[in-house]
Amino acid sequence: MPRTRPHHLLRAALVARPLLVAALALLLVAGGFAARSGVSWYRAAHDDSAAYAVERDNALSAGEQSVQNLNTLDHNSLERGLDLWESSTTGELHSQLVAGRAKFEEQVRQAKTVSTAKVLSGAVTELDDRAGRARVLIALRVTVRAPGGEASDKDSRMLGELTRTEGHWKLSALGQAPVGDTSAD
Amino acid sequence: MSTTRHHINRTRRLAAAPRPRRLEAVAEPKPVRKRPVDRKAATGQSSVIPTPRPRRALLVVCALTLLLGAFAGWAHARAAAERDVPAARNTALTDVARTSEIKGRTDKAVADLFSYDYAHPEAARKAVSSLLTGKAVAQHQQLLGGVLAQARKSKAVITTTVTESAVERISGDRARVLVFADQSSSTTHGKSGTAYAGAMFAVEWVRQEGRWLVSGIDTFGR
Repeated sequence: MPRTRPHHLLRAALVARPLLVAALALLLVAGGFAARSGVSWYRAAHDDSAAYAVERDNALSAGEQSVQNLNTLDHNSLERGLDLWESSTTGELHSQLVAGRAKFEEQVRQAKTVSTAKVLSGAVTELDDRAGRARVLIALRVTVRAPGGEASDKDSRMLGELTRTEGHWKLSALGQAPVGDTSAD
Repeated sequence: MSTTRHHINRTRRLAAAPRPRRLEAVAEPKPVRKRPVDRKAATGQSSVIPTPRPRRALLVVCALTLLLGAFAGWAHARAAAERDVPAARNTALTDVARTSEIKGRTDKAVADLFSYDYAHPEAARKAVSSLLTGKAVAQHQQLLGGVLAQARKSKAVITTTVTESAVERISGDRARVLVFADQSSSTTHGKSGTAYAGAMFAVEWVRQEGRWLVSGIDTFGR
């Protein structure tokens, strides 16, 4: 007996107020959609992976730009070039560059070389979003022009470490991937 | 003019007249008049439906429906906008499982495709036929054809190992991985010993019918 009651209720309601029942049904459907898209929006807004992806791209573009900066130097505008080197770096790498600046400046002034670099490809291997640390691989082509001679191209396999300081990613370590037995790990 | 005013007044009266009754019905559910519906309610059984004023209920329901519908549409648009960050379309590193899968596949594929053992030439052939697709076949041939012929002649063993690799991008069924690899070659006679060479290139992947295949090898114009 009690089981049949909702059924009877529905039928009675349909007979008495078909329009209201239909409207209620629509309301239920709309409620369902609202709930679903609400949840979807909440998830999208709290999706850390989108923010992580943005940070990954930030780190990579900063890494590529910095590596390019550090492989670009014109003996005619040494001051500007080396200032850029220093502003692209932080931490230990920065200290090394500052410490070796005078000596290096002298070498380039004598060699009278012009180096330009082009990033062929780059990718992030690791990214610690919270700590603000990242590692990048960068395929680089450096072109060096010596005073009398012609330009020579050299490809470099760069490994960079980035540290985020005051919201900006800067290189804190940079080296070339070693060739041979030693590189295996 | 006067007829219009009369008409307006009449409509107002008519509109105002039922209102108190309506309020009464809503505010005081206790039965004053003995109606069958009220009796049911009094005996503890739920009343079928409140009989009066279907229109107001209908309007409220319709308004709520519209409101919820509007919210649904808006929230949907917000969610789509939130997800449509250009960076988010590349799932390298954000999709940890897929990233490490692609990386692992690349390390193995590079080792298989760029290694050669004169004693087991079929292994290299198998790698080529099972891993490469599209222009990658020609690119691989161009890169390795000469080396392989040389290796066959001098009975050399070429071993390629990926030393560093990083996934540049994954978008749906496509991926690109930057690879730093070392290649060592040694002849069995030990005449020239072992020579090492470093290489860098990018491997492009495409997923076809559930299988990941190498669709391109980018050596950056070298």
